[in-house]
Amino acid sequence: MSALDAIAVKVVDEAGAASGNATALLHEAAKLLEAFVQSSTPGTIDLRSLPLTPGDYDELREALGAGAVFARVDAIGPSELRETRYPGLWWVTHFNDAGEIVAELIEIGPVPQILVAPMQDVAAGLSGFKEALVDAIAPKL
Amino acid sequence: MTPHPTLGDLLTQRGISRRAFLKFCAAVTSLMALPPDMAPAIAQALAKATRPSVIWLSFQECTGCTESLTRSVSPTLEALILDMISLDYHHTLQAASGTAAEEAREHAMKEASGKYLLLVDGSIPTKDGGVYGTWAGESFHDILSDAVKGAAAVVAIGTCAAFGGIPKANPNPTGAVAVSDLVKGKPVINVPGCPPIAVVMTGVLAHYLAFGTIPELDPLGRPKAFYGETIHDRCYRRPFYDQGKFAKTFDDEGARNGWCLYELGCKGPTTYNSCATIKWNAGTSFPIQSGHGCLGCSEPDFWDKGSFYQALPTGDWGSAKTIGIAAAAGAAIGAAAAYSARKRQERSMKGG
Repeated sequence: MSALDAIAVKVVDEAGAASGNATALLHEAAKLLEAFVQSSTPGTIDLRSLPLTPGDYDELREALGAGAVFARVDAIGPSELRETRYPGLWWVTHFNDAGEIVAELIEIGPVPQILVAPMQDVAAGLSGFKEALVDAIAPKL
Repeated sequence: MTPHPTLGDLLTQRGISRRAFLKFCAAVTSLMALPPDMAPAIAQALAKATRPSVIWLSFQECTGCTESLTRSVSPTLEALILDMISLDYHHTLQAASGTAAEEAREHAMKEASGKYLLLVDGSIPTKDGGVYGTWAGESFHDILSDAVKGAAAVVAIGTCAAFGGIPKANPNPTGAVAVSDLVKGKPVINVPGCPPIAVVMTGVLAHYLAFGTIPELDPLGRPKAFYGETIHDRCYRRPFYDQGKFAKTFDDEGARNGWCLYELGCKGPTTYNSCATIKWNAGTSFPIQSGHGCLGCSEPDFWDKGSFYQALPTGDWGSAKTIGIAAAAGAAIGAAAAYSARKRQERSMKGG
């Protein structure tokens, strides 16, 4: 055994026990889902606005589970959108190009906002589409 | 002067979709601790904003603040924000030097008069007529006074600019002072830290662009979004403090177990900053997570406050409202619940 090996190293992770913040967040999510059912008001919770230990994340993931839909958006890095076992309650994780999480949200609504095609992009896409059609037809004329 | 295109125009030119921009705004909103529902509104506001001119002056400093900003490991977010500004003068980064560089500064000051953002890192020496810091025979004090006249707002980047920092430390041989000691009649935003976290600097710029106003500040002129909580409030070791579990030396069982570093001189309880949440090196770690107490580098006179390894007297910080609540609750769950309630209250106060 070398001298370095003789030093007892204990790797301490942030993990530890859950802090209890997951429970508070779940109640907040239920409240927002209730508001959505009653008045169609969408809601969002920023998961990074509270100090959450990995243990808290495990609790949250276990409590919310996985539903029928999983979607991936590629826009300045991937975004993963997972519907939880509670329809209308989405777990949204935005990554940057380097694979780091830049935002993590619980979204309440029919679909996460980033999934809806913005009308300005739709309009711009349409004009491009028409041009492509003209180009496709042009050689035949 | 060529009219500045809107940020929306720039993004379209670069082929960045609105989806990508919405995602970027979700990240910025999260970063600034704004209510997450505001992301679409921020996206709209930013798309309509014009690219502001920014002049960056470096005085008595070590260039660590610029290093922090430019060596950021998550390029996408920072690059997008930096693309949103027109950095017209930064003597460390610009290619021009000598007379050409100073002409560029004067040109930018004239062209964007009344509208540019003035970013300053470093303190300003005032002793002996300010001779301890000059460019081309002009004192830092005079250069600052001149540049402030046409500025819309001044951002003091780093502890030296915000509070005088290490140049001002005892015995302060150059008579160093903070930007706010010299600038009157203009809004001054302090972004302290030695250095500040890169995204904190860019977050302040994004806020200015999105809202056209300076962010809400604490009594020391720091944006509350980033300096609203102490390191201790957000520290993952906080439950050990509440349980009375402390490391007594850097190599004892408590240190190996990752217990609270309070007794080893951690200044987390009196230091307002975002290190515990945003962290450093692409979110890898921060000093406490690496086993060393916080030095309190984003606080005024941190260098002269006594030993970094001496425990804070409880009277210095025991009055803090949040800590009082946690101590009364006596358990980690109590602290978490109080914290959550307070965050929600803040959100509702912000209209979220």
